Amino acid sequence: MALVDLISSEVVKVPLTSDNKPAVIREMVQILKDSGKIDDFDHVLEAIHKREEMGSTGLECGIAVPHAKTDAVKSLTVAIGISPEGIDFGSLDGKPSQLFFLMLAPPNQSGPHIEALAEIAKLSRSTAFISTLINARSSQEVVELFRED
Amino acid sequence: MNSPIKKIMVYIDGSEQSITAAQYALCLSKFTGADLMAFYVINTKALDDLLKARIFLKEEQMDYERDLEEDARRYLNHVRELARNKGITIETRSAMGNVHREIVKIIKEEGFDLLIIGELSHIRSRRDEFYDETERAMRVVPCSVLIVKDEDSVWEHYESLGK
Repeated sequence: MALVDLISSEVVKVPLTSDNKPAVIREMVQILKDSGKIDDFDHVLEAIHKREEMGSTGLECGIAVPHAKTDAVKSLTVAIGISPEGIDFGSLDGKPSQLFFLMLAPPNQSGPHIEALAEIAKLSRSTAFISTLINARSSQEVVELFRED
Repeated sequence: MNSPIKKIMVYIDGSEQSITAAQYALCLSKFTGADLMAFYVINTKALDDLLKARIFLKEEQMDYERDLEEDARRYLNHVRELARNKGITIETRSAMGNVHREIVKIIKEEGFDLLIIGELSHIRSRRDEFYDETERAMRVVPCSVLIVKDEDSVWEHYESLGK
């Protein structure tokens, strides 16, 4: 399962409206709730917070990758959010996070989960593409940036 | 003319597509008499990359590695069972490392002449970053590659195999 297979406009939000870490996590989980990808909002929220308590998933270059294994999903699920202003997510370089990938995987699908996260890790090294994504104006534009025209 | 297919490797990654590929590989092995091996790679390269990128913590990396080892056992057991149900001999093996490199390595070392993989993503990305590991393997292996599609048809063929 390639990351690009998981991305559709329903799971992308531009711009995010939150201005702090707990709120943006809620907003990202709400994207999945609204798109019908999850039913149990609270269960997912708890799983994401539990992982964040172990250490922030805010990386460098304005990217954050909150993720969790949870039986609240039956298959690998992703939401993407963009905050042009940036949000303090406790990132490694201390800079605000602007591009959020929230990823959920059922406990028995670690392989696809790892491959999708690895794609994001590779993507994070491409500063030009990240900059283009952060400047996207709509969810459809984000989807098109990931796909071949 | 001798069959051009003597040694088949089917790559299993835990996806439904790879299990369909295994069913097709079993059919092909039965009809050609080719030796068949199912291969699973525990993607420790990705785990290392995730640790380096600090997406994973060390304990998370170890937890996921255990998950992947269990996945390898479970899916290869499943493929062995598919083979046993049809009276076909299959070897199963797993390795750890970079997926496409491990696939290339074993194909070269053991002289496989056909790699069978599951259906690839329908959606194309303009970026190399989004080639998945199976797609990378398809691009770099030295032998012919067969991509299995049409799950329902493959299932019918598999089911029609006598024991």
